[in-house]
Amino acid sequence: MKKLLALVLALMLALAVVACASPSAPAQPGDAPAVQTPAEAPPAAPADTAEKVYNIALIPKDATQPWFQRMNIGVKQFADDTGHNAFFKGPESFDAALQAQVVDDLVAQGVDAIVICPIDPGAVEPALKRAREAGIVVIGHEGSSVENLDYDIEAFSNQQYGAFIMDNLADAMGEEGTYVQFVSYFTTSSHQEWADAGLARQQEAYPNMHVLEAEPRVEVEGSAEIAYQKAKEILKKYPEVKGFFGCGSRDAPGAARAIEELGLQGKVFASGTGMPNENAAVLKRGTIKALTLWDPARAGYAGLELAVKVLNGEEIAEGIDLTPDGYQDLTWSTKYPGKVLQGTGWLTVTAENVDGFGF
Amino acid sequence: MKKTFDKLLRKNEFYIFLVIIVVGLAIQFRSGQFFASNNLVDIFSAMIVPHLFGLGLFMIIVTGGIDISFPAIASLSCYITTKVMIDTNFNGSILVPLIMAGAIGWILGMLNGFLVVKFNFPALIITLGTQSIFRGINQGVLGAVQLPILPETMAKFGLEPLFKVVNRTSGLTSVMPIAAIIWVLAIVFVFLVMRFTMFGRGIYATGGNEVSAERAGFNVKKIKFLIYSFNGLLASIGGFIYFCRMGQYEPTNLIGMEMTIIAGVILGGTALTGGKGSLFGVFIGTFLMVLVDNSLILLGVPSFWKTFATGLLILIGVGISALQVKRASNRYGKSS
Amino acid sequence: MPISARVFLIDTRVAQQYCHGKGVFMESCLKVVDVYKSFGAVKALNGINLEIRKGEIHCLAGENGCGKSTLIKIISGIYQLDSGHIELAGKQYTQIAPIESIMNGVQVIYQDLSIFPNLPVFENIAFNSELAKKKKLVNRKELRSIAQAAVEKIDFKVDMDALMGDLSVADKQLVAISRALINDAKLIIMDEPTTALTKREVSSLFKTIRDLQQRGISILFVSHKLNEVFEISDRFTILRNGENAYSGTTGELDENKFAYYMTGREFAYETFAPLKLSEKPVLEVSKLSLNNVFQDINFSLYKGEILGITGLLGSGRTELALSLFGAVKEIDGDIRVNGKKVKLRKIRHAIQNGIGYVPEDRLSEGLFLQQSIGENIIISKIDQLTNKVKILNKKLRKAEIEKWVKNLAIATPNPSNAVTTLSGGNQQRVVLAKWLSRNLDVLILNGPTVGVDIASKYDIHQILKKLAAEQMGLIVISDDIPEILRLCNRILIMKDGRLTGEFQQGDVTEKEISDLLLAGI
Repeated sequence: MKKLLALVLALMLALAVVACASPSAPAQPGDAPAVQTPAEAPPAAPADTAEKVYNIALIPKDATQPWFQRMNIGVKQFADDTGHNAFFKGPESFDAALQAQVVDDLVAQGVDAIVICPIDPGAVEPALKRAREAGIVVIGHEGSSVENLDYDIEAFSNQQYGAFIMDNLADAMGEEGTYVQFVSYFTTSSHQEWADAGLARQQEAYPNMHVLEAEPRVEVEGSAEIAYQKAKEILKKYPEVKGFFGCGSRDAPGAARAIEELGLQGKVFASGTGMPNENAAVLKRGTIKALTLWDPARAGYAGLELAVKVLNGEEIAEGIDLTPDGYQDLTWSTKYPGKVLQGTGWLTVTAENVDGFGF
Repeated sequence: MKKTFDKLLRKNEFYIFLVIIVVGLAIQFRSGQFFASNNLVDIFSAMIVPHLFGLGLFMIIVTGGIDISFPAIASLSCYITTKVMIDTNFNGSILVPLIMAGAIGWILGMLNGFLVVKFNFPALIITLGTQSIFRGINQGVLGAVQLPILPETMAKFGLEPLFKVVNRTSGLTSVMPIAAIIWVLAIVFVFLVMRFTMFGRGIYATGGNEVSAERAGFNVKKIKFLIYSFNGLLASIGGFIYFCRMGQYEPTNLIGMEMTIIAGVILGGTALTGGKGSLFGVFIGTFLMVLVDNSLILLGVPSFWKTFATGLLILIGVGISALQVKRASNRYGKSS
Repeated sequence: MPISARVFLIDTRVAQQYCHGKGVFMESCLKVVDVYKSFGAVKALNGINLEIRKGEIHCLAGENGCGKSTLIKIISGIYQLDSGHIELAGKQYTQIAPIESIMNGVQVIYQDLSIFPNLPVFENIAFNSELAKKKKLVNRKELRSIAQAAVEKIDFKVDMDALMGDLSVADKQLVAISRALINDAKLIIMDEPTTALTKREVSSLFKTIRDLQQRGISILFVSHKLNEVFEISDRFTILRNGENAYSGTTGELDENKFAYYMTGREFAYETFAPLKLSEKPVLEVSKLSLNNVFQDINFSLYKGEILGITGLLGSGRTELALSLFGAVKEIDGDIRVNGKKVKLRKIRHAIQNGIGYVPEDRLSEGLFLQQSIGENIIISKIDQLTNKVKILNKKLRKAEIEKWVKNLAIATPNPSNAVTTLSGGNQQRVVLAKWLSRNLDVLILNGPTVGVDIASKYDIHQILKKLAAEQMGLIVISDDIPEILRLCNRILIMKDGRLTGEFQQGDVTEKEISDLLLAGI
């Protein structure tokens, strides 16, 4: 019996390694940006849409994460403003299979529309296909590559956002020095696009900056702890590194912890996506000069608004106004015209404005 | 002399020690950083949490059991503790949340112990079940979410240095957190228990032969119950330190860590079949796992090799154990 | 020709000792009076009486399931008796707790010796008494001195820091005995202590037991081996089906009586005489060597004969058997089957050449314990029971299983039961059936009746004789010399990796073989 147990365990160990290696595990919010100030932005709903009350579900990636908790605030706001039955329903952990299950449940309930932030496009496509076959309107957010949806809404174009992070980092580094890019996983496509865009921006605008050749891009597994450890190692091995370009919302904060611990404040900087509240301290200490993000509440609100417009049969065209700031004059993305709408919804968080966000 | 050397060759610890030296020299050669004072401090500080987990698990594995629920125990007890501290605007001594997390962990560990003793099912199955239950309670019933901002006391505890080391050449500072005190206390405690108490010898005896242990007069059930409970306690304290140092609570960050911890314990020569293992072995086994986790960049190995390296280590560890078992029973009579 | 019981090794010194001692053994040390014990509907003990006198070696014998273990557990306080009582040190107990039993000087050495293979010797010895004293802390000095004192009592020299698992079985036993001596033992119960011991180790164990006797300690020696009962005990008690079958002094006993009291059956013991030997050998071995294990082995085996190979543990006998079965690769020399030279580098080769092997430890090597009796029987023949597309033919399979269950009289209500439900003797028959279903030319049996009760042993011998009569060639490896003498028509002596003697049955006595084996040691 003991021998058997030992064998089973050994196998599990081996499997666990394989499992850890696959990128299915945790990823995280910091994936796209939103616009300016707080969430009271949206004005009252127009009266003419109130004639029919729709059931619309918003499916986050992971209902437990603050990012999506914030998105839920936008959902509630939308429901209050418009009278539609908009609600938030998502997997309790970052699990693509669970998310597909949620979609199927909602199809069975017979909702009118679904707004979804897909974890893994491949895993939800079949469920979304069933939803559309059942006549349900499907709107994506951070899901431009998903096929089975009516429209996808992005807070901004990935190119603009990546360049924007780079501008912030260059500003902090005085436009010179070596930097490293962090992504959650090498398979996180939005992070890769931002990193690519950031690199392109640096090559074009900041000739005195260089990406570290030995470790240009590092995977930090969506964990602040790993971002911290990797940053520490890099700083020890490559003392020339002066900056960290973070994509995921844990990347720059994790790097900031390493910078502070190693006593490199003011010499090394981090920039990237990040939530205001949890980073207030590092921002005020100056380790991070500016973080970038979009407001998930507004993105959620805009997605729901778009769903209603589609349900009402309104024309969806360039320049459409979905109410929240940054989503009032949308454009088609160049890559997916006619499908993916982009706003100008990024925000910059600095030591000065960090306390004004309320999230 | 030869006998001592033979004995040495039979110990996992010896081989792991060699591997560590080789890896260390390689790091030194590639980066000149391994023996830098601050790098060593970094590695030891990264060891605190995994080794705390490993200590509790070590005692369980020595009895011939296993517990894979400890990350779930740590996640659950730390969520409850942190949440309560936030909701009550707690601002007192760090000992309050520390003891609270430990106590909750102890209670959850007691559940494991109770089930193992009472039903005598394989501990792997039991803790696989309780792991799901604890996760379910945390993320389902309690709706645990990330807590980005810790109460002042906890955040301070996470950052508070016990001492700092500055590397003169690079100017880099490395910090040994104050939590290392708890770590050292735990090591000393487990050492004393395993070596100098009848309870500790009973742990080894149980792993060697449970029936004999009972006949000799050890209270085997009590021993098992207590070590599973103690494992819950250590897991929660380890988790508490982890989250305090990270500066935020995350319900899923620890999940999946159990395999690395088990691997570290086994690498150090603790036999999964029970009865065999040393505290020193656990230390260097964990050290090697942490070292590899934290040194690939220093070695100049691209970071996506990390999981490969970890897997390789596990295979080596299991392989060495298997070899030893084979060597021990290597008589022709056993070969048909 | 029945072998006289008196042939068994008894050195004169011992005989004197117990004759001399007889007068002393009057005061009783333990009395079990009319004890009943049932488990549910099963009556385990049905009015058992047992008396052990001070300083005597008393042998408790009986087949498996006769109630020996239950009786021991009642004496040591692990089970409570239903009615009757036991007397220890003159006091009557109808209920006795384990600790009271220990306080009265009763110590049990179980068959598995209750040791911790992973811990050093001194801890193994001293744990019990420390725990009995309710010690919480470990005082290594104290543990060591307790252990040292204990081993000195029996003049046993051992490295206190050696791991228990690294000791030989005999040394483990001595550790267990030393441990039993710590608490002023008055009665030591040894549950089948010789099971895993070699002949030499048994002799030295017996010497230790006699030393204990000299100190006035009584020994209850549980065994079902006749020669041991004769050699060591002053008096004996035989149980059968939970009842007293017989009690008396050893002098009254002979082999036939012993077997009768044990089983309730009469056996006709006959030595084996082959009916007809083949003209040419079925198996020829010449100049067979295995590095450092055995050298220059030459012998032939004819169809119809049972060839015995006897030797001490470590003489290379098991390795030789395994070499002939293709389980050892690194052998040099020639092996011919039916005159044809063969290479036996894999077990598969041996089977293809019609050679089968029944291992020493049938539980770990000969049987698939989790599988049914039927599956175990057909496993080595499974390739012949399939249809064209390699799917098992159920009818054939069933017929085959039934045939062997019947032929070998395997006592089971249902061949689909797990093989673990069988007694040792019946398990051994399953192993035999497994090979016989293949129609072999040569069958090698290593310790075919180890741990098997008398009746089954007799039956297995009958089966083997029948197989020889059917022109199979059999090699029996055993250190049970009486068994070899009775079962084999030719006997090879193996010592230190060489064949040192060959005898026809009847040309040699047990004493002579024993002397040969032990010479120079």
